[in-house]
Order: sequence, then C-alpha cells, then structure tokens
Amino acid sequence: MSNPLADMEKPDVIFAIGTNMTECHPVAATRLKRALTNGAKMIVADPRKTRLAKMAHLHLPIRVGSDVALLLAMAHVIQREGLIDASFIEARTAGGDEFLEHIKRFTPEWASEICEVPAADIEKAGLIYGQGNPSAIYYTLGITEHICGVDNVQSLCNLALMTGNLGIEGGGINPMRGQNNIQGAGDCGAVPNNFPGFQACDDPASVEKFSRLYQTEIEPKRGITKVTALDLCGKGIHGMIIDGENTVVTDPDKNHCEHALKSLDHLVVIDIFLTETAQLADVVFPATAWGETDGVQTNTERRVQRLRAAVPPVGEAKPDWWIVSEIAKRMGTPGFDYESAKEIFNELCELSPIYAGLDWDRIEDSEYQWPVPDKNHPGTPRLHEGEFKNGRGKFTVVGYRDPAEVISKDFPLWLTTGRRLEAYHTRTQTGRSAGIEYLLSHESLEVHPDDAKSLGLTHGGMAKMASARGEIEIEVKVTDMSPKGTVFTSFSFANVPVNILTGSGYDPVTQTAELKVCPVRVTAV
Amino acid sequence: MPRQSNDELITRWKDEPAPLLPLLHAFHNRDGWISEESIRAVSKGLKIPLAELFGTVTFYHHFSREKPGKSAPRVCTGNVCCLHGGNELLESLKSEGATAMPCAGRCDDMIPVIIDDKAFVGLTKETLVHRATPMPVPNPGGVTECVFSKIREEGRATLEGYRSSGGYRGLEKALAATPQDVIDAVSESKLAGRGGAGFPTGVKWKAVADAPGDPKCIVCNADEGEPGCFKDRTLMDHDPFAVIEGMTLAAFATGAPLGFIYLRYEYPETEAILENAIKDARANGLLGENILGSGLTFDLYVRRGAGAYICGEEGSLLNSLEGKHPFPRNKPPFPVTHGFNDKPTAVNNVETLASVPHIIANGAAWYRDLGLGENAGTKVISLSGDVQRPGNYEIPIGLPLQTLLNDWAGGPLPGRSFQAVTMAGLSGGFLGGENLNITLDDPCIKSKGSFLGAGGIMVFDDSRNMVDAAHDAMEFYAHESCGKCFPCRIGTQRMTERLNGSTPKLTKEEWLAEMNDIGSTMKSTSACGLGMAAPHVTESLMRYFPEQIEAHLNGEA
Amino acid sequence: MISDLDAQKTAKALILTLDGEEVAFEPGETIYEVAERHRREIPTLCYDERLEAFGACRLCIVEVEGIRNPVASCTTKAAEGMIVKTKTDTIEKHRKTLLELVASENRSVDVNQLSGYASQELKILVDRYDARTGRFAGKKSGTSNTKDKNPFILRDYDNCISCYRCVRVCAEREGDYAINVMNRGFNTQIITEFNNDLRDSECTFCGQCVQTCPTGALGDRKALRDSDTEGEIRKTRTICPYCGVGCSVDMLSKGDKIVGVQPAMDGPANEGALCIKGQFAFDFIQNADRLKKPMIRREDGELHECEWEEALDFAAAGFAKVRDKFGRHSVYGIASGRAPHEAAYTMQKYIRATYGTNYIDNCSRA
Repeated sequence: MSNPLADMEKPDVIFAIGTNMTECHPVAATRLKRALTNGAKMIVADPRKTRLAKMAHLHLPIRVGSDVALLLAMAHVIQREGLIDASFIEARTAGGDEFLEHIKRFTPEWASEICEVPAADIEKAGLIYGQGNPSAIYYTLGITEHICGVDNVQSLCNLALMTGNLGIEGGGINPMRGQNNIQGAGDCGAVPNNFPGFQACDDPASVEKFSRLYQTEIEPKRGITKVTALDLCGKGIHGMIIDGENTVVTDPDKNHCEHALKSLDHLVVIDIFLTETAQLADVVFPATAWGETDGVQTNTERRVQRLRAAVPPVGEAKPDWWIVSEIAKRMGTPGFDYESAKEIFNELCELSPIYAGLDWDRIEDSEYQWPVPDKNHPGTPRLHEGEFKNGRGKFTVVGYRDPAEVISKDFPLWLTTGRRLEAYHTRTQTGRSAGIEYLLSHESLEVHPDDAKSLGLTHGGMAKMASARGEIEIEVKVTDMSPKGTVFTSFSFANVPVNILTGSGYDPVTQTAELKVCPVRVTAV
Repeated sequence: MPRQSNDELITRWKDEPAPLLPLLHAFHNRDGWISEESIRAVSKGLKIPLAELFGTVTFYHHFSREKPGKSAPRVCTGNVCCLHGGNELLESLKSEGATAMPCAGRCDDMIPVIIDDKAFVGLTKETLVHRATPMPVPNPGGVTECVFSKIREEGRATLEGYRSSGGYRGLEKALAATPQDVIDAVSESKLAGRGGAGFPTGVKWKAVADAPGDPKCIVCNADEGEPGCFKDRTLMDHDPFAVIEGMTLAAFATGAPLGFIYLRYEYPETEAILENAIKDARANGLLGENILGSGLTFDLYVRRGAGAYICGEEGSLLNSLEGKHPFPRNKPPFPVTHGFNDKPTAVNNVETLASVPHIIANGAAWYRDLGLGENAGTKVISLSGDVQRPGNYEIPIGLPLQTLLNDWAGGPLPGRSFQAVTMAGLSGGFLGGENLNITLDDPCIKSKGSFLGAGGIMVFDDSRNMVDAAHDAMEFYAHESCGKCFPCRIGTQRMTERLNGSTPKLTKEEWLAEMNDIGSTMKSTSACGLGMAAPHVTESLMRYFPEQIEAHLNGEA
Repeated sequence: MISDLDAQKTAKALILTLDGEEVAFEPGETIYEVAERHRREIPTLCYDERLEAFGACRLCIVEVEGIRNPVASCTTKAAEGMIVKTKTDTIEKHRKTLLELVASENRSVDVNQLSGYASQELKILVDRYDARTGRFAGKKSGTSNTKDKNPFILRDYDNCISCYRCVRVCAEREGDYAINVMNRGFNTQIITEFNNDLRDSECTFCGQCVQTCPTGALGDRKALRDSDTEGEIRKTRTICPYCGVGCSVDMLSKGDKIVGVQPAMDGPANEGALCIKGQFAFDFIQNADRLKKPMIRREDGELHECEWEEALDFAAAGFAKVRDKFGRHSVYGIASGRAPHEAAYTMQKYIRATYGTNYIDNCSRA
C-alpha cells in the first residue's frame, strides 16, 4: 500500500476495484466504513453485489476481465472534464502527453459495450473519482489475477497520477496483501528477481554483494517464476522444496500441478498439516505454527511486526528456519549456524537498505513502516511524498485485451473465484477451528436467479461445472449476488476443487494466473 | 382505495422531510400493524439498518407488531383515569384485545379509549362516545386572557373565522418590521416556554437567529405527554391557525424555512385539523413561498409520534423526527445550534407559539402586564381529578391556587376536602397540607420544592390513597423511561417496586433510606428531565404523607 | 508574519482546575479525557475510548463549579477556567448508589475472565466501591438468549447492564449495525432485527461486542470452554496469522494450552478490531491433525514417521543427488507467504547460497 491503513478513514472518494474487502480484509474494511460514515463517497467496481458494493454510492458490476476498458474510459472522462492535476503531471510525472492523447479515443460509450454497464455510470465514476479530494484506490486480486494484471495495475496508476492522488494523506494506490506475510516474503528476497530488500538479481553490485556474503557465486540473472518451474517439473526441474503452501489446491489447473509435483525426483514439504501437497512429498517436515514461533512479519502497509511464541510446539515441530538451515548445513552450505530467529532477522536488516534502521529489538512495539534507511529514521507510513523513489511517476499507455478465454457456445458462463469471510485459503486452518462449520459448512456455486431458471438449476441442488480443463460437481446457491451470466465460488474446499477448471492463462510479466476469469458450462445433475 | 404497495408508500414518503414516522404510520394504517416485511421494506427504502429500525419501532408504545393491532382498544390508565375506573374499563374491554395506555391527555373528560384513529371517551364499554375536545369555559375570574382570548369566537378554527377575529394581524405587523423587532417584542413580553422548562422564548429565538448553519428549523412541540396536561390539544383543535401563525412568526424571526409540528399519537383528530389548517394556509399564501407577498418562505409539516413520553424531551423529539432511536441527546450542544439535522432549531411548545401572535398584535407590554404583581403574562392550567369543574383555565400568573380550585373550579366534590395536588402534571410531584396555599407562579412554587411546569394540576381529595397515586405516577415514569441512563432506567423500576410492595420486606428505615438514596442519585445524575423529575413524586410523598407510607409498609390497604 | 506554529506557541494555553490543580487541555477535549491524562481513575461502565461518548452510566459524573447538578465528564467538553472536582463525598456516594443499582439488576457480577477483554470492569468497580450490599433488590433486567446456538458468542443478557457498548461498537467501529436495543426503560434488551439468531443477522462474528462488554453478558464461547482448565491466564502479544492487515492480538494461554485470542486495543493496524478468523479461528494450532514428527516416503511408497536426523539426512541427500545428476538449475525453492521472515529469508539464502541460482519464489502468484 502506498498509504497507511489509518489513511483509509480519510479519503473523500474511495474507489474499490476487484476487492471483496469486507470478507477478505474485514478489519481494513471497517476503516472504509468509518470513512463512509464521515461522508466519503464510494465507487465499487466488482461483478458481484458484495457487501462493499451494497454500501457504495455507485456500484459498477463490470464483466469479469474488463477493468482496463473501464479505467481507460474513466481517465477519458477525467481529462475531458478538466479534472486532471496539471501541475502534478508537470512536476512529478513522465509520459503524460502521450497518455492523455491515447485516452481521447476511449469514451464511456466504448467501454460500456465491453464492461456491460451503462455509459452514464462510467461517466459518473470518472467524475466522482476525478473530483475527490483526495481520492484513494483500493484493490486486491480481482485486479492482479488476470492475464492483463499488470495492465490493470498500470491503469490504476495512470488514474492516480493524472489526478495527483499519490503521496498525499487519504489518497494513494493501495493493494491489500492477501496473506499475512506475503509482503515479508518479498521483502526477504524470496522472489526470482530480487535479493532481500528488493535489490535486483541482475544488478552487478547486488550480485557481487550477495555472492560475497553467501560465499558462493550467484548467477547474475533472474530466476524463473514458480509458474514456469511447475511447467518444467520433470523437464529440467527435478527437486523442489515447498514451505507452507498447499500448491495443488491453491494453484490453477490442479491436474497439471499435481502431475508436475509427481514427476519430481525429490520433493520436500514443510508444513503444519499433511496437506494435499505434503501427501505428494518424499520428505515432510513438521513446522511450528502460529503461537509457537518467534519471528517477524510485515503487513500490507509495510509495518514490520513481531510474532511471539505463546506455547511450546506440538510434538517435535521445529521452526521453518531451523529445518531449512539443517538441510543447508548437511549440504555443506556455509552461513547457517543460526541459534535464533533474532539472529536471522538481524542479518536480514544488515543486508537490506529498507530495513537498515531496524533490528529485532527496535520492532518490539510495531511502530515502523519500511523503508527505514537508518537508525534515526522514523519509518515511512506514506510512500511517494514529495518525490518518487525512481524520479518521476511514469504513465503507461495500455490497451484493452480480452481474457485468455472468452465465453462461447460450449462454455457460455463466466466463472470467477474468490474467498469467503469464514474460510481462509484451503481451510487447513479455519477448517480445523471449532465452530466455523456452523457458518460455512460446504462450498456452493452462486448463480443468478435468471441463469438458474434458464439452466434448470435449483437452490440447494447439485450441478456439474466444466471448463476446457476439467469438470467438478458443486451445490447451487441461487442469489442475485452474482450478476446474470457470471457464477462465483471459492477455492477453499478440497472436495470442490475449483482449480481443476481454472488456469486459462497467465500475465506475461508477472506470470500471475488468470484465476478470476474462466468460461464454464453449468448443467443440472 | 386499493391497498397501496410497499413501493408506493416508500416512494410517497422517502424524499419528504423527516420521512420515517409518516412512513411507519403509512404501513401501520394500511395493515393495522407493522409486519416484519414492512420493516424490511422501510429499512431498504430509507437506508436505515434493519436492527436499528426494528429497535426504533419497538421503542414506540403505539406501533403494533401483531394483529389485531391498531384497531384494538387502547384504554387510558393514567393517574386521573385510575381515579375514574380506567383499570376496570380496560378489564371489560380485554375480550376485544384492549391494552393499557399511559395518560392520553383527556383528564378533563371521561376515560379515553383510542380505537384506530378515533378517540372515544366513556366510563363503561357500552357508553363510549366520540366527541370533540371541550371548549374552555369563559374565564371564571373575568380576567384578560391571551391564548384563550379569541378561541371561543365563532369559526375561529377556520381560516376565514381566524382572520375575521384578528388572526394574522400579528404576522402582518411583523412583516412590516424586522426579525429583530419580533425578537425584541417577544423578549420584552417576558414570554417563557410554556411546555415546562420555562426558558425565555426571546433568548431562544435570538440564539437560533444568530447561529450559523442552514436550513434552520422551527419545531412545535405538540407531544403533550405530561400526565394531567391537555391544554395544547384544546389550542390546536379550536385555534389551529394561532399555532401556525406563531410558528410563522418564529420562522420570520429566526430565518427558518422549515417547520414541524410533532404531535402525540393520542390526538388523531387533531392531526386532521392541523393538516387541513396547513392546507388552507398554504392555499391562501400564508405558508410556502412568498408569504403575504413579503418574500418570506416557510413550510410546515405535521409529524405524528407513536407513543413515547420521552419524545416531549427536545433531544428525543429531534432524534425521533430524524428517524433515529429516540434517546435524549447529550447537551451541550443545544438545539438552538445543533437541532434538526444538526442545524439551528427552535423547539417551542404549542402554547408558547400560540401566544406570540397576540403578543405581536397587542404589544409586549400588554402581555407582560397580564400577570399579577411581579409576574408576567398568563398560563393555561389543565385542572383535573377530584374537583367540581375540571378543565383548562387561562390564569394570570400569580393567581392563588385556592382561588383556582374553589372560586374558578367549584371546589371539592360534595363531602370531600382537598388532600393533595400535583404540579407540572406529575413532574413537580405533590403538594399537600399548608402548601396548598401557594400562588401559581414559579418563585412561590419553587420555594416549596416544586414547579409550575406545563401547568397540569391533578387534584386528589381526602378519599384517595396517596401511596397508590405515587405508585401510578412512578409506574408511568418506569414505563416511559427511555432506558439510556442508568439512574432513571433502574431507579424508576426500583421505586415502583417499593411503592407496590413487590420487593422483599423492608423495614421502614431501609425503605426510606433506599428511596432517599435512589431519589437523590436520580435527581443529581440523570441525563434528562424525566429522571430528574420522577423523584419529586416520592420525595413529596415522604414529606406530606409519612403516615400513609407507614400504613403501606405495614400492609394496610 | 506569524506562522501558524508561532501563533500556537503564543496562544494562551487552555487551563482548567482539576481537584485544585491547574492543568492544560486541548480544544475539544472532554473533562474525562483531561482527567484520565492526569490519572484520576474516574469510574465508567459505558465508556470505551474508541467509541463516541454516550453518557449512559453516569458513573463519570464530576462537580463543576457554577453548575447545579454534577455533569457526566465523558460528554462534557473542558472549558477555560472550569473548576472541576472529580471525587467529592457526594459524587462518591452517587457512584456507589449507581453501582448498587446496577449490581441489583444482574444475576451475578462475578464472571470468568475468559469471557472477554473488558469483562471484569463491573466486578472491579463494584469491589472498589464496596457495592456488594444487596440493596435495591428487585426484578432483574435482560433475558439471556439460550436459543442462539452459535458457537462463538455467548448472549447471557441476565448480566446485561444496557450500556450499549456492544450496539455502538458494532455500528461505529465495525460498521455492521447487526444489533440494537429493543423496547425501552427497564425492559431494554439487546437484540438483532426481529430478535433472530446472530447467524441470521448482519453479524459477521468479529467478536467486538464480546470484547467491549463490561460484564461478561457477551462472552467468548470458545475461550470459555477452558474456564475450568488449570492454570493462570497468560497473554502473549503477537500478530494475527490470516490476511495482510496484520492485526495485533493477545494470545491467551493456560499452561501449554492456547485458550483464546483477544484483540490488542493498541495494535496499530487494528486498534482493537478483529474479524471472525483472527478472533475465533485459533484452535487449528493444537489440533490433533498437526504434524508431530518428520515423515519420509519409504520403499512401500507410503509416508512414514521417522526421527529428525534421518529425515534431514534424507532430504539433504535427495537434493544433492538431483543437483549432481541434473545440475544446479534443477532445484527450485518455494517460500511461504504465511511463515515469518526468518523462514523466507533462510529459504532464499538456502537456494542462492547452495545452488548459486535465483530459483526461488513464493506463493504470491496464486
């Protein structure tokens, strides 16, 4: 997030797109609700009539995967109505002229055809966002899990840049991170393109630095992504170590993924439960869980916070870092003689410019948001204040593309997937917490009443849902929460493995899967 | 007329000012009760959270949430009606689904029974009659009146009759002058709030005129819920244009374009009278835009309550108008700066507003001199209970109570003597013994630990059990406590229990200590006037009738 | 020209007299806030600093010179020159009477600490004011809801004192407006719409009502399962393991057992808020399904439990074999977005330092 969570109570206009925040980030959503109470206006772009959408002043139930068209047209309206922040564009951005020329073509009427919402509403959205002072953007995976995920994000950046809504209190572009420490995994360098602290793997100085520190020669180029690695399993990748991820249930195209892991020579899984993924491993290590582990995690607003063990581990479970270190040591890799989490975190701080001002003891009270470049620095709650890290904010010229697969005679409905309030991911945790089943006992497919009628589906009855990749059975829930022509379910229940169906394509830059769009056929059983 | 759909009702009301109460009444009138489905529709239509709306509906005594609902008789069991057999009448109507209601403001008549939108009166179920509000008798003391001075004139309740008897002279005079002139005249007249609190009206209007924020608002408090008070209904029924003219003058003085009359549920006929009067005034250029060609804009809406004494408290009233849970508001800020929709608002009683046209027409000095001695002006007293001629009497402030009771109202019933009277309806508690020799003005009454308030006086003769009277009074307070502040919510309940003997046996010392402690804490710490006033009943009971308390504690009837 | 800052410096500080002591205050502060800053420990039951002051319990009354009745300090703004007394005999007497009255409407003031964060507030005040006198006996207020079988929130309204903190936190903080108050006066009752079960209302089971309840009328049913478990309650400050918001929580344990979770009121990300997962979905930790020992796949093709040494040797040998056979680009590491930094850091270091590649990723792409 460019702005702190506390800023969520301060926008004049909220633009929430591709985020079911009241279910996926409920506590953050409470701040938006308070902003609404204080008089903020809210635009929600989401195919579904989510709780957030019901609270909105303007709900745009756009067709899945049509975000770029919407955002281009909103930019068009903002420019046409003279709502751009010319001085901000002049002083702090690059590529503005080209972008402003580009968007002249994309009228609300044009976008209306693609997004399947009235042009007047798109017009209104542009006006409201453009007039807000400040306007803030919030998004999650509804923006990124598309083949055009990068285009979506850049389109949002364009909106914020053209209206000067960056680097100001109550504004910004704010992706909400889905997992508790997904931000931290990136901070720590668990990505193929960056060393810890976002130091690039293809930057010679960084390569030299880490090669020296890790006492080896690290190749000066980016690694491959997980998606590519899974594609290469058995064809180049033969050994894999997976920590705390139920890959075969969360990832798209489940059959492909299961096949990939099975074709490895050696698979090591570290987890707290014998997940579907762990069941495919050659070695499974029991890790300590939340409440048993000392450590650090970073939240979506870049706040670095301490985790503390409250009880001893179950059985013989050990911290993940200890397990990985023991394997490394057995392979003769130097530098793994750690005695504590503290030692590791302090090493990370020494290597990362963004953590340079931090250490284990300084984060005791959760007060720092990175970057914290030195010990006298108070932390950075708000990014881009006064200047951008890389000089100027760059406009990007993007165009609309159809999803990887579009609906057809064979697969006439859009399937989109997401999460539910009461379940987390594949329910390895929530499914084992008493009482959750009282509220959410099984998965269902949300179908609009009109679609249910034309397909002969009944509320509570079973249906078969098929895509180009496979077929599952699922209970039907008739509700107007889904728009006509679109069905929704979550990926939380292993007995309804919706990711058998997904996996139509990947964003070419990030290789994030298009989990939010999948043409399907639904038939009554 | 065909049954209107939910959507039709919502469309009719949702863009009106203060739409919740009229919309709920529309459903209540359509179905006779407010169903779950209706509440869901209103919640959606007005965007009020469902649980909040449900809670608010349950707050009001008169909204039925089940059949037979509105058509089932509601029988008054107020203090005076208890003296007249209200409980027995209720019992006899039980087979028709009758329920009790607190004082319905007709204490000068027989026992009121409300069925649908008609208020009947009678002493037995066979003899219930529907009849108009009695006209005040000509002033028995022959003194000059203010609000009653023209009320008995033929046709006064019609616009034509009102104008031909001097109506709207005040407004015409005001429009030729300035708002400040009106405020000055009202201030100089020493007119003070006639609803009970006695706040100087001129000061209030000046504060609203000076406060920033638009649109400002005039609210006529016609929630006349104080037991033993029935003067406002008389004024509204027989002189409705005086109230409207008074509000228009207030609007002119303060710069408010919007007004409401918040009318208690128990006066259904009055609602029709007011609505018709407003319609006539609007049709004749006396409400709406450009009033009397002066450029003044003021429009006025009647909003009917639904049975909650607390809605006579101005904070609760404003919350009720705004469609919120009718708890009193924390003060400050006061309504003069943060009233309806948080805008400057003058909340004035019916009698106060009805006085203003006379004051403007006749001059401040004229009004001020109507009082006796140092006292300014007049006050309508609603007299009821054990007295020969109950009714409304407009007295010069400062009149001896005994003059009112004996010379004006004919004295006690045959063979009886006066034992006690209440003051300020119930809020002033009882006066008895020597203190029946007061004069009716606040300096005198306050020296006896009470106050004149809204001017309701209930009379109890020597045949009455004063512990029972105190119990009925406290039960009323317990029933009407909003439940927000602890001392009132729990205190009224505990006091009621101690007056009806439903608690474990207490010694006299324990009983007195508990009652004193509760009373003292309620008076000092309650959040609004209800909780502060309720202990007057028990304090005065202990002061004047200790032997009756002793008998009560000894289990004697 | 005088800047705003200079103007502030030169502006006369606002001062009031608090129990004889002159203290400064900021514009807009209430008497209660000023007094709390000066450690006056004014009693309250309806106050929660996160909520708009409500003025229901009247325990926070103070005397202000020139005002006849005491005022509720929580709803009264401090004003220049005010002379305030927070603790006179009269005020203390009223407070005791109020507490005796409140105690008289409840079944019991003693409730288990596991009920919720604020659950001991009434008990503590009743004891502080020596108000267990049994005076003012009479009808009890509130009726416990025994039909709502939800596994999370106990609705024991026999112990409700109608402070409306639950109603207010649900509306003002959570924005769900799921609960409200039915009826009035002594018959007030906290309810959902139509008095339905919470599950059928707008309730999202965030538990905020439970944690602000000062009497334990609303209780954490999951924590209360361990009412009788031996041991003192220990609180450990940590961060919620679910989404990326990073809410601060206090994990409650007795001995080696985790018994519950309470939100940290001073948590910077959540300021006392939690959702159903953070509040109630903690018991996966000590679930019987947890992996307790390492496992390796043996010749029979099945996973079998084994000792650590064997498993670690087996894991390391397997990777060495793959590397030796297929080269350093044949091994890939996937770090967790769920585990702490130290896990992700060691994982990337393991890959980079052992193989010299950047064949490392995490689970953010799905």
